Amino acid sequence: MKNILVRLAKRIFAGIIMVLVMASFTFFLVRMMPGNPVSAKYNELIMRGMTPVQAMDEVRVMYGFIPHQPLWQQYLHYIVQILHLNLGTSISYEGVPVLHIILDAAPWTIILVTTGLIASFIVGVLAGVIAAVKRSSPTGNAITLSGSIMHGIPQFVMGLFLAYVFTTLWAILPFGAPYNAALTPGFNGPFISSLVRHAILPVATYALSSYGGWLLTMKSSVITVLGDDFILASEVRGIKAKTRVRYIAHNAILPLFTIFALSIGFMFGGSLFIEDIFDYPGLGNLLLHAIDARDYPLMSGAFLLITVAVIVANIFADFLYSVVDPRIRR
Amino acid sequence: MSLAATTEAPSKNSPGPAGHPSFLKNAWRIIAKKPGRLLGLAIIVLFTLMAIFGPYLYPRQLPINPNAIYAPISWHYPLGTDFEGTSNLALIITGARYVLFAAAMAAVFTVVFGTALGLISGYYLGWPDSVIMRVTDFILTIPGFPLLVVLSTIWNFGQPMAMGFVLGITGWGGLARAVRSQTLSLRERGFIEAARTLGLSPFHILFKEILPNVGSYIAMNLLLAVTGSIYAEVGLFFLGVVPFQVNNWGVMLNLAVFSAGAMSSTQALPYLLSPLLALLILTLGVVLFLDAVDEMFNPRLKEA
Repeated sequence: MKNILVRLAKRIFAGIIMVLVMASFTFFLVRMMPGNPVSAKYNELIMRGMTPVQAMDEVRVMYGFIPHQPLWQQYLHYIVQILHLNLGTSISYEGVPVLHIILDAAPWTIILVTTGLIASFIVGVLAGVIAAVKRSSPTGNAITLSGSIMHGIPQFVMGLFLAYVFTTLWAILPFGAPYNAALTPGFNGPFISSLVRHAILPVATYALSSYGGWLLTMKSSVITVLGDDFILASEVRGIKAKTRVRYIAHNAILPLFTIFALSIGFMFGGSLFIEDIFDYPGLGNLLLHAIDARDYPLMSGAFLLITVAVIVANIFADFLYSVVDPRIRR
Repeated sequence: MSLAATTEAPSKNSPGPAGHPSFLKNAWRIIAKKPGRLLGLAIIVLFTLMAIFGPYLYPRQLPINPNAIYAPISWHYPLGTDFEGTSNLALIITGARYVLFAAAMAAVFTVVFGTALGLISGYYLGWPDSVIMRVTDFILTIPGFPLLVVLSTIWNFGQPMAMGFVLGITGWGGLARAVRSQTLSLRERGFIEAARTLGLSPFHILFKEILPNVGSYIAMNLLLAVTGSIYAEVGLFFLGVVPFQVNNWGVMLNLAVFSAGAMSSTQALPYLLSPLLALLILTLGVVLFLDAVDEMFNPRLKEA
């Protein structure tokens, strides 16, 4: 157990460093923008008739750092503000703190991504085991083929396809918005069912586009384990087929945790497409809106939160892995 | 003429000096084994030709026809027309250059970064290894696509070269790891130890002894990087975060979905489907051809 905690602590430390690096990256990115939006905003406020002091205060609130100071001082100020969870004020949502906006948007993305990830993981892993065990039969081949095809289709194509088929061609599911605006939000039947119905298509897009990856990895992993001596030994000892499949699955699933990292980044990247296509108010949509509106504090904030979510999910996956794999636990 | 002669010369006396059939002849034998691989090769060649010669087939300004806006599929307009009455087929063909050139650039950058860093990190171990692997972990963890979207605000992706470079520097992580783990197991093998004892330079060992043995990974990754980059760049244009400077498939998708309303009107549907069709056919070609590449470079499959 001590080993796991040390490992976890190391990962969390590395994660914090990573977040700070990304925060620095966005800081310098905004400074490098053509036309430097910070001094552009400052000059605009002066033109509107503000005194330099007022304008300076306004810009400081907006971006979390002060122009006309040496770069390193601005940078230090910005990092300190971030450590205090102050991400500045949005420009397009006038005067609203960025933190509020991104925290409002975050649940939509995180719930959709998590649901999609879990659904695709369960289905993909089960299908992968079947495809590996029955790899010389038509069923196995058909499952593998379905995985290869799903794996090859980009997320936005999948999203457009599902949106077209289920909202236009055969309109059984609603399009856009996370719930029916006519209903009052709260813990009541119609609202929840509306919430679920609106989430079906985005979640299905996440799940279908990552299911193929799990399937193919699980299949090749199971095939490797099938060749191991202990499987042959358990077969010779006459252990039931059902138990053997459990042995195989338990050993074969371990390598999947290592590709978890790639998958999480991929899913959060996909949120940009999926939320854009289905007009869902999550972080991806917010990031695109911020870029569209040249709202740089909001852009930095949304990007930072996506990064934090991915890093936290990675640490969690690593922790699960060390709990599941006895070789790391020692 | 002379070029053709030199490439054909080794294939005539097929068992070359080392006793191996020439690479090209061997490659062709492997590809011709299955019709699917031939189809894959044909698709890749077709799209490459489209990227090279496509823009020369049409005038610089594609002709517009106000009488044929969203024309249905016909002989004159094999894929229908867009909102200005321009042939979708012409848009696809002229748009192929940016898409494929940027993807090829991205694949080259990915492979160069990934291979070099993976080889160095796996061979030298010690501090270069830990530094490179930290950076690799970092690259693999940060969400690549949102990063690209944010970068697109300051970087001008109108140039395919710039697009390829950015896709390359955000995408080399996986390959570097694969190459490193291969190098780790290769460096303990007899022939590498022999080369070290002979006093051959590390450069020679890395690039002449180890590199050919990780060739299959690199070749597979090269093609996977091409498809991955095509999705990423078309996706960037689809989202509309990159200013439209040249026509390409992603721009078509964006205009079809968000301006032409192709999702709800059937008449604009060909405009939406043509870039999707181009994407899917190209992907199919790459997937079919990968199978042949795997066999070409994987020594274990070669004997069978």
